Amino acid sequence: MNKRSTKAKGANTKSVKSSRAKPSKPGYFGRFGGTFAPETLMPALAEVREAYGRFRDDERWQAEYGRLLSTYCGRATPLYEAVNLGERLGGRARIFLKREDLNHTGAHKITNALGQALLARFMGKERLIAETGAGQHGVATATAAALLGMECDIFMGTVDMQRQLPNVYRMNLLGARVVPVDSGGRTLKDAVNEAMRDWTRTVRNTHYAFGSALGPHPFPTIVRDFQSVIGRECREQIRAAAGRLPDEVVACVGGGSNAIGIFSAFIKDKGVRLTGVEAGGFGLRGSQHAVRLTPSPYSRLGILHGAYSYVLQDKDGQIADTHSVSAGLDYSGVGPEHAHLFESGRANYTYATDEEAVGAFRLLCEAEGIIPALESSHAVAYAVKHAPKMAAGSVVVVNLSGRGDKDMDSVAKFLEARKK
Amino acid sequence: MNRYEEAFKMAKARRESALIPFAVAGDPGPDAFLDVIKAYVDGGADVLEIGYPFSDPVADGPVNQRASQRAIKAGLNHSLFFSLVKEIRSFTDIPIGLLTYANTINHLGAEAFCKKAERAGIDSILTADMPPEESIDLDTQMRKHGIGRVYIVSELTPDDRMRYIGNRVDSFVYVVSRPGVTGADAALSSSVKTTLTRLKRVTDKPAAVGFGIATPKHVREVTGAGAQGVIVGSALVNMIEDAVNKGKSPARALKKRVSELKAATRHA
Repeated sequence: MNKRSTKAKGANTKSVKSSRAKPSKPGYFGRFGGTFAPETLMPALAEVREAYGRFRDDERWQAEYGRLLSTYCGRATPLYEAVNLGERLGGRARIFLKREDLNHTGAHKITNALGQALLARFMGKERLIAETGAGQHGVATATAAALLGMECDIFMGTVDMQRQLPNVYRMNLLGARVVPVDSGGRTLKDAVNEAMRDWTRTVRNTHYAFGSALGPHPFPTIVRDFQSVIGRECREQIRAAAGRLPDEVVACVGGGSNAIGIFSAFIKDKGVRLTGVEAGGFGLRGSQHAVRLTPSPYSRLGILHGAYSYVLQDKDGQIADTHSVSAGLDYSGVGPEHAHLFESGRANYTYATDEEAVGAFRLLCEAEGIIPALESSHAVAYAVKHAPKMAAGSVVVVNLSGRGDKDMDSVAKFLEARKK
Repeated sequence: MNRYEEAFKMAKARRESALIPFAVAGDPGPDAFLDVIKAYVDGGADVLEIGYPFSDPVADGPVNQRASQRAIKAGLNHSLFFSLVKEIRSFTDIPIGLLTYANTINHLGAEAFCKKAERAGIDSILTADMPPEESIDLDTQMRKHGIGRVYIVSELTPDDRMRYIGNRVDSFVYVVSRPGVTGADAALSSSVKTTLTRLKRVTDKPAAVGFGIATPKHVREVTGAGAQGVIVGSALVNMIEDAVNKGKSPARALKKRVSELKAATRHA
């Protein structure tokens, strides 16, 4: 059961039948996903499932969501051709950046947070809770809660609170309470544990706005649907800008929401290569990374936070702690739809190390005057590595999921440590 | 008759509910854990509930989380776990229930896990994050290996779902006294009685109440509300932690506490 399928390796995209990667049985993507939740949450999950169906079909609520996306978030975000970067990388590939960093609050996260906050209001809930790693989803949720007049508690590991102090201040300013989580590795995984525990207590008046395409059904689907606007915009924009579909779409993968959001519009376009980039940390030799979809002794099939997927674990089946220079990719599991795209061979997954990500971060700052989030820098690092080898005239879209202002301290510390 | 049927029948004949104390396997260390279980048995436990420690126990409060961490640190893994259960079987014949998480079962695979559990002498398995809908494989293997199924209901569970769960249960229905995670409460939720009454309307399987039960007074209340079993976890695990912090053995105090809790299971 927990033996890794080798089917995906080198599988070609022609064999992919179901183009939309729809759940095969309720809540499943292929054999991944499911509803592995404590019984206390089962009535709430059923309620969310049912309410989400009505919410999606409700014209008035959808119109309100659309209005907020355009007038409050600043969507559609631009697609920008990074000409300088393209030239620095040999001038063979045309590199486009999907500028999710230009969203209100600085990342794609607000798109999902607003959707879920509206859904919570639609269900009559008064309180929003969320987990956060880098703090971007926490800030986005606190923002949506402030806008819609909801009470808001954000769970955050104490290691991440240190790494992302400005975001902690931001959440407080927005009226949210940041609940420090001191268990386990004190990062994203532990924050999800604590948010789930809170939800089992408070489920009557509280909605848990999962920040990524993970968790028990229906969350991987809901978050994917909310983020799919990235892909829809991008598909239209790249056709206008390049006159055709791209050869490759690249995105970083922590839980996987920005990646599934941009991939979703291209899954049926079999000529478009989809590439997810995980956090390689210090490399795959030890356990100091968050690479779930490139084989390593730590990555096995398992169940974490409600879903069956690839999960980093030790030899006894205890969940392994992870490491990445970017707090937002530092997660032991991966969204179940990515596990399915990996196994079916429709998407490819690779990784960038801390070193490569910080290198790409600096290059984008210098070449384009854009400070990317360290998370997004992993996707940029892939382009940096591969663009020089691509066929002349190739078109690559990199999802620039967030901006890097929050990362000044982490980058400074990383560069300082390297000098020594 | 299986061990659970016998335990509930005997308790009923004595006009008592069954006392079900809980500990995390391997906490605070393999030998000390066996001493804890001996103290439970000597104190009058009718059934044992043993938790398999997991790094990310989302249904557990801080006390049981820390117990899991202690056990993992002390080296608890699958092979040590099953050998500890075998040891317990060498000195008692009361039912042993396992409380675990889905990833632990998945790590060995349902078939291998159930085979080993049967051999070790485990009578039931409750997987905290695996509702009946996701337990089809595990259920099949459990039935094949003669292991009883246990599922949870709460005050939030609708009647039709209570009936569905009642039908899927073999050993007992685990009724949580309130929504939330494990942990000792100062006062018991007043909704327990309503939940038990609703449950009894849709199933005749035995019901055991857990979560938040800490004192003989709570045990009396739950017994009075019609529960056939009373599960006491964090309150006892707390005593283990206290003893560990003081560098003492918890066995003596636990035996005394369990006998006090047991005395409170007598029907009024």
